[in-house]
Amino acid sequence: MNPHATFLSRRHFLRRSAEAAVIGGVAAPLLGQGAEAAASRFAYDVERFTKTDPQWLRYDPDGRFPTPRPQAKRISIGPGGRFYIAAQDKVCVVDLAGTLEATLSLNDVARCAIAGEDGLVYAATRNRVVVFEAGGREKLSWEVPGPKAWVSALALVGDSVLAADSGNRVIWRFDLSGKVLGRIGEKDQEREIPGFVVPSPYLDVEPGKDGLLRVNNPGRHRVELYTLEGDLELFWGKASAGVGGFCGCCNPIAVAALPDGRCITCEKGLPRVKIFALDGAFEGVVAGPESFPQNARIGSGRNPVDGTLGGLDATVDARGRVYVLDLVASEVQIFKPKTVS
Amino acid sequence: MNPTDSKTNPGQVNRRQFLRDGGRATAVASLGGLLGMVLGRSQAEGYVWQIDPSKCVYCGNCATHCVLEQSAVKCVHAYAMCGYCQLCTGYFEPEPNALNTGAENCQCPTAAIQRTYVEDPYYEYTIDEDLCIGCAKCVDGCTRFGNGSLFLQIRHDRCVNCNECAISKVCAGDAFVRVPASQPYLLKTQH
Repeated sequence: MNPHATFLSRRHFLRRSAEAAVIGGVAAPLLGQGAEAAASRFAYDVERFTKTDPQWLRYDPDGRFPTPRPQAKRISIGPGGRFYIAAQDKVCVVDLAGTLEATLSLNDVARCAIAGEDGLVYAATRNRVVVFEAGGREKLSWEVPGPKAWVSALALVGDSVLAADSGNRVIWRFDLSGKVLGRIGEKDQEREIPGFVVPSPYLDVEPGKDGLLRVNNPGRHRVELYTLEGDLELFWGKASAGVGGFCGCCNPIAVAALPDGRCITCEKGLPRVKIFALDGAFEGVVAGPESFPQNARIGSGRNPVDGTLGGLDATVDARGRVYVLDLVASEVQIFKPKTVS
Repeated sequence: MNPTDSKTNPGQVNRRQFLRDGGRATAVASLGGLLGMVLGRSQAEGYVWQIDPSKCVYCGNCATHCVLEQSAVKCVHAYAMCGYCQLCTGYFEPEPNALNTGAENCQCPTAAIQRTYVEDPYYEYTIDEDLCIGCAKCVDGCTRFGNGSLFLQIRHDRCVNCNECAISKVCAGDAFVRVPASQPYLLKTQH
């Protein structure tokens, strides 16, 4: 036996130590990846739904601006081309470039705001509608009935103020002084109205130029069209994480009407904005989850607050441009229709 | 040996005495050990491990790193926060074929969630803790799309309260905290 076979010189020792260190350095991250992969076998995997097929994209991004205040909840566009953004306990009046023009103060968290042709601004807190004059002075206010009132959207149709109440699962129809004229969308077997299913406070109402109200019914994964008198005329939509459906437990969370009557819908969980034809046929995507990376992380484990704090809202101008409020990133993204080549 | 030898010779011990003395010594030692254990535990009993649901990132490590054969971490349900959804994203796969209890539609790897019809279109979801392994797959789905009413907690009827919790060492969200034993749960009550 060679006596040198088991003898290790200092040089050999150092060389082998260095080799071992290199091998260890390479192996450690690989082992770490293995451990991570083992842990992720329980992941709720929606990754395949987070990429939008380009063939469905019907709009191009055309700018963005931050909201004047964080924690914005709703956006609407007024007759003068101004945005009304409900954020914290304020309504921010913003021009088309995103510059703050005025601020209206409320006594509670502002949930939504809209402006009428007469210059009056209607804003809502959880259980109260407040009307401001054009100069910003409070003109009148009224309480929304019901013990669980949670107003999440407002709309104006003629002499009626419509308030979408997520808590009581109804669209209240008030006159301009706050008197109740009707209740739209309540469960009613005789009128074949199944009722709204609203697991989280995202009930929206949007009038179209055809006179019908577009209302989301998130728990049933559909959009319902009502007359002002409360008759259910049409509904459409299906549950699916695929691009043509409404994902998760409860979507869509917001609706907007294009000038030609088509419907824009917003979803949470997989933040998407999509277009549907008058009859509910899926037409395409305004913006997919790639456009809202912060929003897409809500509830995903990388940002473990629950889905009720995420979401989007949208409003549309006369030219068909879509303005999307990202509730998480606190910014407005502008999308214009793609030009057909 | 003569059985009377011990009487005549006090230095010697017969078998009966040996067993009796041995028994006494064992009893004293056991009592001492028990006392030591009680004293030792009484210092640690002030605090127990718990998961802060606001920090949990549903990494799945709770299912695989507990020292117990089946993890002491379980999914719990805050019913007051639940939407009782027909399509519960804690219960169903992201794209189920149908909204029924078919295994191919459900995402819980151990079928630990029971779905019960309440009234159209509401369903109640109940966790069977004997089956739940604390993998948090349902927590992920519920929190991403819904109200986050499903969340993980360490169940103290199972947890052995290790000095250094094995899961806490690998918790991706650093969500393991020590809480007073008198208030051992960190429950979600609102959004």
